[in-house]
Amino acid sequence: MMDCAQYRRSMMADPHDPDPRLREHRESCHDCTLYSERLLRFESRLERALRVGPASEVAASSDNVVPLRAGSSRTGLRSTAYRKRMLAMAASVLMALVVGGGLWLSAPGASLAADVVSHMRGEPEAWRRTDVPVPNPKLDNVLRDSHLRLAAGGGAGMVSYANSCGFRGYQVPHLVLQTDAGPVTVMVLVHERSPKPVQFDEQGYRGVIVPVPGHGSLAVLTRGSATDMETIEHIAHRVLDSIIWTG
Amino acid sequence: MKDEIGGNQKRARFQALCQSLRPDLLRFAFWLSRDRALAEDVVQETMLRAWKAQDSLQDEAAAKPWFLTIIRREYARCFERKRFVTVDVDELVAREEPMLAAAEEQNLAEMRAALFKLPDEYREPLVLQVLMGFSTAEIARELDLSSAAVLTRLFRARKQLRVLCGEDTSMDPQE
Repeated sequence: MMDCAQYRRSMMADPHDPDPRLREHRESCHDCTLYSERLLRFESRLERALRVGPASEVAASSDNVVPLRAGSSRTGLRSTAYRKRMLAMAASVLMALVVGGGLWLSAPGASLAADVVSHMRGEPEAWRRTDVPVPNPKLDNVLRDSHLRLAAGGGAGMVSYANSCGFRGYQVPHLVLQTDAGPVTVMVLVHERSPKPVQFDEQGYRGVIVPVPGHGSLAVLTRGSATDMETIEHIAHRVLDSIIWTG
Repeated sequence: MKDEIGGNQKRARFQALCQSLRPDLLRFAFWLSRDRALAEDVVQETMLRAWKAQDSLQDEAAAKPWFLTIIRREYARCFERKRFVTVDVDELVAREEPMLAAAEEQNLAEMRAALFKLPDEYREPLVLQVLMGFSTAEIARELDLSSAAVLTRLFRARKQLRVLCGEDTSMDPQE
């Protein structure tokens, strides 16, 4: 049986460690439950501090993989040769993007699903199976900017991950719910209208994008092929039922 | 023609991947270097290298660690190319002050100032874990450390941060 010192050392090293021995100890020790709550509040603050970083600038320039700042007043470390190399490479990248981008945009429905999948692939950490809920202040922060909140005791499942992610030029809530079918990712895409429900199954991700009248659309994904489409749609509707729009 | 379309789609896909990862890559580079300008340079160079080497990324699910490895190498190359002037941490904090204070409450600015003061060997695994969501095993692989060493560094990182932030550490365990 784990003692308090061992438990706290483990929590200090990884507060989201899903080890069942940690959960067992936490459930049997009032002091360590209090300690965990404090530590998770600290962790939430740490996460926000790390995320803010250069985010505002990043968000502004996230449409450009290789942003060109010909008129930048910043006197950085770049040499003239470096800049020339950058410009040459950027020109070739830009050419590829113009051609590739045109093709990409020619299929908007498929493109939205592909972008959602692409985003998921960039955040594999979000798929962790865990019994540790995301702290409420963190969840509230993530949802607030999109003018929504989740009903208390939300029927869709425990939210274990919440992040405000840059997606197609907007910050959108990216949540992971722990459901009977395993971790399920939800993206609330208030800026993306979808005229009809879209199902997709590609690159190891299966999911749906459902229209939300007046509030864009909602993407729900599972990883792998263990969950059937009907279950995913059912989860999507449970999530929609638990959303309270505040604006 | 078919090959050309396939190539274009592949490039577009890679572009979308870069776009989705760029914010976190920039944050990682920032916390690695503690310098916004340098972080931007490192990420720019990383994107270019990644673009040229995109065929070597076999599995898009591994994109984030792949990019981070390039960032770390690129950051190390900066030190090979340049001789950096060492600066006082307080000076560093003051220099980044406008960004640190941007629309956030004071305690977040305090936390970031404390992060600036953490030794690199503690800050880097912490950023990989909290910001990038890496598991202990993934951090160990990225930093070429044992899992036990990673856990020790993460423990010490949080312990130091909590002290620096004036948290109540009376319930914190000893090492």
